[in-house]
Amino acid sequence: MVAAGAETPAAASPRRPRPRRVAAALWSLPPIAALALVFLYPLALVVWQSVSPEDGGHSTAPYTAVFAEASFREALTNTVLLAAGATAGALLLGLALSLVIAFVPFPGGRALSRFIDLFLAFPSFLITLALLFLYGSAGLANGLWTDVTGAAHGPLDFLHTPWGVLLAEVTYFTPFVMRPLLAAFSQVETGQLEAAASLGARPWRIVRTVILPEALPSLAAGGALVLVLCLNEFGIVLFTGAKDVVTLPMLVYTKALLDGDYTGACVVAVVNITLSVTLYALYRTVMSRTGGGPAFRTGGAHRAGA
Amino acid sequence: MLVPSKSARRAVHLLFLVLVVPVFALPLLVIVAASFATDWSGVLPSGATLAHYRDIAHGEALDALLTSLATALAASLGALTAGTWAALAAEKCGRRTRRIIDALFLLPVAVPSVVVGLSLLVAFSRPPLLLNGTPQIVILAHTVLVTAFAYQSVTAALSRLDPAYEQSAAGLGARPAYVLWRVKLPLLLPSLTAAAGLCFALSMGELSATMMIYPPDWLPLPVQIFAATDRGSLFTGAALAVALMAATLLVLLGVSRIRTKASYR
Amino acid sequence: MPAPAAPAAPARNPAPAAPGPASGIRFDGVSVSYGRHGEHTVLDALDLTVAPGEVLALLGPSGSGKTTALRTVAGFVQPSAGRVLIGDRDVTGLPPHRRGIGMVVQQYALFPHMKVADNVAFGLRARKTPRAEIPGRVAEALEMTGMAAYAGRHPRELSGGQQQRVALARALAIRPGVLLLDEPLSALDAQLRSGMLAELARLHRELPGVSILYVTHDQIEALTLADRIAVLDRARLRDCGTPQDLYRRPRTEFTASFVGTANLLPVTVRADRDGVDFAGRRLAVPVGDGTAGGAAATLCVRPHLVGLGARPPGGGPANTLRGTVTEVQWRGSTHRLYVAVDGHRVLADPRELRTTPALGEEIALHFAPEDAVLIPAGLTEDGAGHA
Repeated sequence: MVAAGAETPAAASPRRPRPRRVAAALWSLPPIAALALVFLYPLALVVWQSVSPEDGGHSTAPYTAVFAEASFREALTNTVLLAAGATAGALLLGLALSLVIAFVPFPGGRALSRFIDLFLAFPSFLITLALLFLYGSAGLANGLWTDVTGAAHGPLDFLHTPWGVLLAEVTYFTPFVMRPLLAAFSQVETGQLEAAASLGARPWRIVRTVILPEALPSLAAGGALVLVLCLNEFGIVLFTGAKDVVTLPMLVYTKALLDGDYTGACVVAVVNITLSVTLYALYRTVMSRTGGGPAFRTGGAHRAGA
Repeated sequence: MLVPSKSARRAVHLLFLVLVVPVFALPLLVIVAASFATDWSGVLPSGATLAHYRDIAHGEALDALLTSLATALAASLGALTAGTWAALAAEKCGRRTRRIIDALFLLPVAVPSVVVGLSLLVAFSRPPLLLNGTPQIVILAHTVLVTAFAYQSVTAALSRLDPAYEQSAAGLGARPAYVLWRVKLPLLLPSLTAAAGLCFALSMGELSATMMIYPPDWLPLPVQIFAATDRGSLFTGAALAVALMAATLLVLLGVSRIRTKASYR
Repeated sequence: MPAPAAPAAPARNPAPAAPGPASGIRFDGVSVSYGRHGEHTVLDALDLTVAPGEVLALLGPSGSGKTTALRTVAGFVQPSAGRVLIGDRDVTGLPPHRRGIGMVVQQYALFPHMKVADNVAFGLRARKTPRAEIPGRVAEALEMTGMAAYAGRHPRELSGGQQQRVALARALAIRPGVLLLDEPLSALDAQLRSGMLAELARLHRELPGVSILYVTHDQIEALTLADRIAVLDRARLRDCGTPQDLYRRPRTEFTASFVGTANLLPVTVRADRDGVDFAGRRLAVPVGDGTAGGAAATLCVRPHLVGLGARPPGGGPANTLRGTVTEVQWRGSTHRLYVAVDGHRVLADPRELRTTPALGEEIALHFAPEDAVLIPAGLTEDGAGHA
């Protein structure tokens, strides 16, 4: 016989107002402290250093000095234009490819999307390295040209220009757009498409009126993320090795390590942080408005142990 | 289903291949091809050789691979611990506290990696914490950079976990620590290994912050690849890149095997 | 990795205490509100007692607050006012793991990474039951639920009904004084459900000391299993009583229509309190003491107690209603007739008819005075239950 009474009756306990919340907040302190030590505190020092000119004291003089440099203004323009261009390119390419994978399926499509996912695990500079072999002065494309025409040099010589950086960034960041898009597309019901088609809508119209509205939040979120990542991109620019393609992260690197101008580097860093953190905050807002993005909703929160 | 006519479908697929092959497939292929070539001045590389691999099989390159593996292992373990801890604690907090923790732990994604490197350089170049010039500063930078991804993965996994498991366990008399150890962590295991794999891969390929802070005796693989291509040895660079990709892939594959074994649903 | 939110551990009991006095549950003015200013009340001042060894069903539509009430006992919901007692112990502020309850939820929540035996042993291990005692207790619980043969399986290898039994065994293994069942049968199909109902009734006979709080929206489950039923609607307790009582003598319109089907006719109590007036004709029904002459009231008659014809075949006193047939449904063993009586819809469920009345036909219906229940107005909204 199973008997009743499983726990010795404790003394009637006094009511404690939400003690668990407080304990939880305490438990979150150690990781926050660690993060503060190795990330927040150094970041604060960067800001501090940026207002501490070499000759002592504290002023905004370093900012005035850096803003006056032509190289800084050029880097800022380059960074913003490249990021905007790469984001637009990645959005267009990612949208087109995702539409085909999701709605004009073909054998091997899923394997292909997994292969493209692989790009997320590889570093960005590999793309620039590959482009050197593809479109470099002695690469595949120019080799094809010289073999066919007999000319001494191929026609393609854009790798060390901003266009080379743009191509590499579009290639590398397109998968970042495709991932959330494919997740959003998988939420579009086939029934809706069939209903629209049975009502006589042509494919492009279905894309415009049924699919795109559903995918717009993911598209916005993906675009914002790529924009931030492009603003911060360093490896691609470094590997391109072009003197005339300088971006903000690149400027931080050259100022700090090559020129030894830490205060100047910190000024550029603060500008770069301001740009990308503002955008990232915007991205997070978009994400939370759309309920954490469709990828989070697909998990099925209430699948119990079946 | 969207394009009913067969010929139109074929045209779409053709266009798709024209876009995908040069943009995604070729880059990885040419790196692999170049790593086996002595020379490349025509359409195809010429002179198959294993010389580049022989070169990197000893000396600096091997050191670089081992350095990268050690860094990635340490960084992903550290990031996983910190990220999981923070995610578990944040889940129990009120909504406002949780939002603050979210913002703090995702901030490293938004801050440029180069700046993270610079900030460590600025902060830890003087006593009491003199880390500049040590391998630890590289590991620290990698840990900071990948913690955000660990935190994000674990948070997403926690939000998918049915609260009924935790509640049933508590109802049966299990204290929170026991619930965590016997129920939550086992159920999260697949997501934790996935997060670890992601962190490992990201750390293996980290270049931006590393370029700012690496000491001469701790050169990870990406730095070596840059050094090789910068001095014009593109083919050696390609071979090193293949080694990097292979090591990353092997770890990801291993992790996904553990994952399928560990997934119960 | 440390656990978030570990409250200071009290002196832990090493093993379940000796079978103490059977526990029972008491809700003492329990309210639950959400929202910044507590503006959404999901449970409103619930007073209710589950006696030791009693099965009490919390019956109500979705959103009535019944699951919330159960979760305040389990400790997953903190009341904004009032106290919850298990036995004579105030558990209101206690975390769930120190309440000593057994619970089975709708989706069972069996731990997918543990075998059946480990699932059942979970509570015992969590409470540091002596190691030597565990296998026997697990076997006992599995035996009781007929799952002994499945101890080595994983939950995913079991059918829904089997998972249900394992979930029960897991809850019973810790020998709880109080068992909470939250819609435990709703995930099963109809046939399995009636089998499990019989099974639960048997288990309760074997465990006479255990109090069971059974949350359901299904009146059949409540009528079958419960010693008493508490009817909840819109956050409040509307009625409470034995199943027979609620079915035969509902005290509110809500109870009458939610527990079984009911004809509810608006009537006026006659001045002489000798029956009621319905649409201008007198109906003979017993008028209780609490009802004044001239008061508005609702007359409740169950459809299966409404017969065809003006008089019962065997004679005897009866009230007669005349109306037009608007709908005839065949339901296998019975027919259901929809009859319009002076603009009011009256349902009658006679046993299967040889010849059914045509639509639009004028027919007569009768019911015995003692089969009608008079529900005084005013009790309908405010709730009449006292535990």
